Amino acid sequence: MLDETPDAHFADGPWAVETHGLTKRFGDNVAVNDVELLVPRGCAFGYLGPNGAGKTTLIRVLLGLTHADAGTMSLLGYPVPRQRDRALARVGAIVDEPRFHGHLTGRQNLQILAAARERAARDRIEASLERVGMMHRADDRVSKYSMGMRQRLGVAACLLGDPQLLILDEPMNGLDPAGMHEMRDMIQTLVAEGRTVMLSSHLLDEVERTCDAVAIVDHGKVIRQGPIAELLAGAATKVHVGCSSPERAQSILAATALGAQVDLETAGLSIHLAAGTGRDTIAEINRLLVEDGIAVYQLQEVQVSLESWFLQVTSRLGESE
Amino acid sequence: MTSVSASATSAGRLATAGSNASYDRRGSWLPTGAMITTRIMELRKRRGLMAALIVVNIGIPAIFLTVRLIAHAVAPRSYGPAGGYDVFTALVAGVMFVFGFIVAATLGCTAGSVDLTEGMFRHLVITGRSRLALYFARIPAGLAIIVPMVAAGFTIVCAVCVFAAPAKLNFDGVNVPPGLSLTGLQSWAKDHPKEVVCGFNYRGPIGVPCGINQNGKIVTPPGSSGFTQISSATLKADAVKIATQGYADYSRVFLYPSDMLMVKTGLWIELEAAIGFIVGLGLASLMGQRTVAVVLMIVLEIVLTPIFSHTAIRHLINVQRGLVGLAMAHLEPGGLPRPFGGGGGGGGGGPSLVYESTTVAVCVIVAWLVGWTALGAWRMSKRDA
Repeated sequence: MLDETPDAHFADGPWAVETHGLTKRFGDNVAVNDVELLVPRGCAFGYLGPNGAGKTTLIRVLLGLTHADAGTMSLLGYPVPRQRDRALARVGAIVDEPRFHGHLTGRQNLQILAAARERAARDRIEASLERVGMMHRADDRVSKYSMGMRQRLGVAACLLGDPQLLILDEPMNGLDPAGMHEMRDMIQTLVAEGRTVMLSSHLLDEVERTCDAVAIVDHGKVIRQGPIAELLAGAATKVHVGCSSPERAQSILAATALGAQVDLETAGLSIHLAAGTGRDTIAEINRLLVEDGIAVYQLQEVQVSLESWFLQVTSRLGESE
Repeated sequence: MTSVSASATSAGRLATAGSNASYDRRGSWLPTGAMITTRIMELRKRRGLMAALIVVNIGIPAIFLTVRLIAHAVAPRSYGPAGGYDVFTALVAGVMFVFGFIVAATLGCTAGSVDLTEGMFRHLVITGRSRLALYFARIPAGLAIIVPMVAAGFTIVCAVCVFAAPAKLNFDGVNVPPGLSLTGLQSWAKDHPKEVVCGFNYRGPIGVPCGINQNGKIVTPPGSSGFTQISSATLKADAVKIATQGYADYSRVFLYPSDMLMVKTGLWIELEAAIGFIVGLGLASLMGQRTVAVVLMIVLEIVLTPIFSHTAIRHLINVQRGLVGLAMAHLEPGGLPRPFGGGGGGGGGGPSLVYESTTVAVCVIVAWLVGWTALGAWRMSKRDA
């Protein structure tokens, strides 16, 4: 088992990751655009965005793999890059596809990485391998590993430093459903231990199941961030209505000032209400239909998923552009 | 923008845990012993590369000498002894010097590029360890592999050349006792006038017969004619004169290399291999890849250095002096043939075509070592991972 109570000092502050005005350009392309990001400690935080949105670039900047063009950032309270060595001492990360020396075994690769960390990291190799379920293949060459096994070895490498903060770039990539389930459990366990896990992904369903809070990034810019529950509470509401005469119901609702988008479905209507619409509106829909003699069999508020919210947010962006 | 509020409870449990970075001096440019050890392991596990290193540094000399030992044991009249001074100088200056550099450079290029090409550099940078320390760990690690390997090959060569050396010194086709002084050689020549007169190379005017052939006629030495009879005193006097002429050449021929020559030569080829490794490491780190760097190192050693050591180009003379191969040739121990067939100041191959003092040669070598190390380290510290 990994150390749970290592003894040393730790920078104060509520944020595991904090950036202000962080910018990274590649020529004319602004990959990270004035990012203001606050990742609280001790939670699973999803960094979401479509392909090419700048997720990996932000992670690379945070970890000092490439330099920032503007802005400030800190990891675990330590300003980066000024105190990069102190900050990264308790950070574990996987960036892009995890790759290792193929001619060495998994254990030997971890020995190389542990040697670059503090002395205690060498004693954590076995525990890390055990934790990611790689003990039985630890002495096989990495060139014989599948993508999922390399992903697990990457997580084991992260755990060598007994990290306070794990930054995982697309950790579900290459994993089969069982592997994704295990990864999800592992992330939740790590968070339960008080660690912070920041993961980037475009698999919204996985993020919704795993994370407590998210930030949405598009075109290099963070456009929303917060706890998932809070963000979804502000999303558009969808109501499914089962009724006797869907066509007539549609025309009735369209003539009102509810501002709702009403779509005809096989057994009723699908009504999209604007974000922030209260439950009174749903009651008002019911009243209007009943007063016009339409029998309402079902009136169900459909829970908005992170995926549909993400699409709403990003499509809204597209409209504004 | 909605900001996320921090959870006090979740921040709590590991909030007292923290960084040991201040204790393990992670920001220091000095690598730790563990970093060097694991780097040695990483290089040592590259079977193909290690096989190439062993074949060139140990295998080729060992096979060559084994064949000579067997051939001499089977047919001693047809094949000379396996070892000896000549074999030593030829193997060291002709094979181990040049090919030792190339394989060391290949090892250096590998050490300088594989972390990047195999994706490990990123993992290592994320540990927070100084990039300079990551770079500098490779130098002792690589040297820990290449230096013993060169030493092993060189030890085999020395052992065979000493213990399987010829029993008699063959000078100009004549068996002569080794290690004679000028007086000793003159005395020996007086006792063996016919061998000296007919065997040793000489510059005229000497007109003495070599002996009487089977038909009873006087055999004259090449270029001489017109005499039919000669006194013993004249024959001996001419033999002494010829021995005196040839003493300078004789004094450079030995049965086997001296202890001092072996020590100096060993250090010299170790330095050459170390230069190959460090320059290769710096070049590959600078370029971020191995293949082109290896090709450039081979071109430097096999093409550029021999060309510039054979020709003194007036307008490029300082460029020529700046080549590390020529500088190394200037530091060659006396008694060895010139490497690359030219340019060696200290060797037995005559004066250098490109003159430079020992101080300049040392400065050139130091500049190459420091310069390439600095370039490689700089690129390593600035490179996007």
